[in-house]
Amino acid sequence: MSKLNIEMKPAPELDLKCFMNLMVVLIPLLLVSAEFAKVAVIDIKLPEARGSQTRSAVTEQPQEDKSAKILLTAIITDSVVTLGAKGGFMPSLFYREFHRYVTKDGLDTLVEYEPGKQPRHPSGRELTVYERYDIFLYTSDDKRSIINCMYTKFGEMLTNVDGNPVEKVVAGDTVFALTNPRRRIIVSNPAEFESKPLSAYDELKNRLMKIKERYRDAEDADDLIIAAENEVIFDKIVQIMDAARSAEFPNISIAKLRG
Amino acid sequence: MGRGRVKARTGDTNLNITSMMDMFTIILVFLIKSFSADGSILTNADNLVLPNSESKKKPQEVNLQIAVTNDMILLDNAAVVPTEDARNISAEEHDPVITKLEEKLKVCLAMEEEMVRMGALNAVHGRIIVQIDKNIDFDVMFKIMNTCGKVGYNNMNFAVMERDD
Repeated sequence: MSKLNIEMKPAPELDLKCFMNLMVVLIPLLLVSAEFAKVAVIDIKLPEARGSQTRSAVTEQPQEDKSAKILLTAIITDSVVTLGAKGGFMPSLFYREFHRYVTKDGLDTLVEYEPGKQPRHPSGRELTVYERYDIFLYTSDDKRSIINCMYTKFGEMLTNVDGNPVEKVVAGDTVFALTNPRRRIIVSNPAEFESKPLSAYDELKNRLMKIKERYRDAEDADDLIIAAENEVIFDKIVQIMDAARSAEFPNISIAKLRG
Repeated sequence: MGRGRVKARTGDTNLNITSMMDMFTIILVFLIKSFSADGSILTNADNLVLPNSESKKKPQEVNLQIAVTNDMILLDNAAVVPTEDARNISAEEHDPVITKLEEKLKVCLAMEEEMVRMGALNAVHGRIIVQIDKNIDFDVMFKIMNTCGKVGYNNMNFAVMERDD
């Protein structure tokens, strides 16, 4: 009978109150020191003597023509990115610009940018720049048709041995993912890759990497001058700086295109 | 019947906090993941959206800050000049300088030089952090850079938002 009484007793519960107290202290403490939006910086060093390199980069003739400098310059306008160097210019990279707008009422739309024309919300009002969430630049040909390229599931552009974008893959193909250095992939299952519009930033990075591989010994092999039109927005400049840095051009100068 | 009477006498009802503990554990893990020992050096101006970037470099020191919004150019969170004034400087100008900003920057640089003389600083580094709204056009950005460089702030850092991996 006494044995039966012991079995009927409820199991002792773990006392969690002290652990709760600890949580109540820890959570506000961590909440205060949590960093939800991480801010980083991009280094730009201007020459000591003058504030900008504009005149020296664009209007004055280079003084050291006999040196081994390549004077690589990325020229950005509202529809074209062109890479130029001392020896000449590479074929221009045409792009079409799409803006993704996300509004508070749940609208998420991709609109092609047209200069001077602001897209509208279905309710009729104009969408503002503060609702512009992303800017995509898709490479196009001279007839303004968007060029597609294969991408990995991690969003890396695929190129062939010559460094040109790959439009289609079949099993057994050897392709290269656009990482630095390029990563070789032997395609076993083509379904692992997807065809997407070719980002102008990816193609720019690809071209810059090819230049870097070819002119690694140049005196200014780490330098890139970004020359842009007045209307080009800061976001594009930052994305191009990103592409340049990931292609090992850490020394970026800013120049301005004159009308 | 007897058992029921005993329960009523003691009134011993425990609050079950197991589910709350589960919730707290999840919150704790999330907060530890986003914990930052450095704190935030930059203060964000209103109406300023920074561009996203792959840069991981953290601002190391507290420096002079310029914020450029669509409406106003601010120096250390104090409004200096409307952004429209910077836009109105002729694009044909070879050496575009935003005069009011230049004056303020000169004062700041003079203060830094004074601090070096007093021994509070080792040297004048000419460092400045520039926060530019991602929708600001290159023209304004260039004029800001030119003005900073002309005064002597040659080591510039553009503030960006770190892109999530």
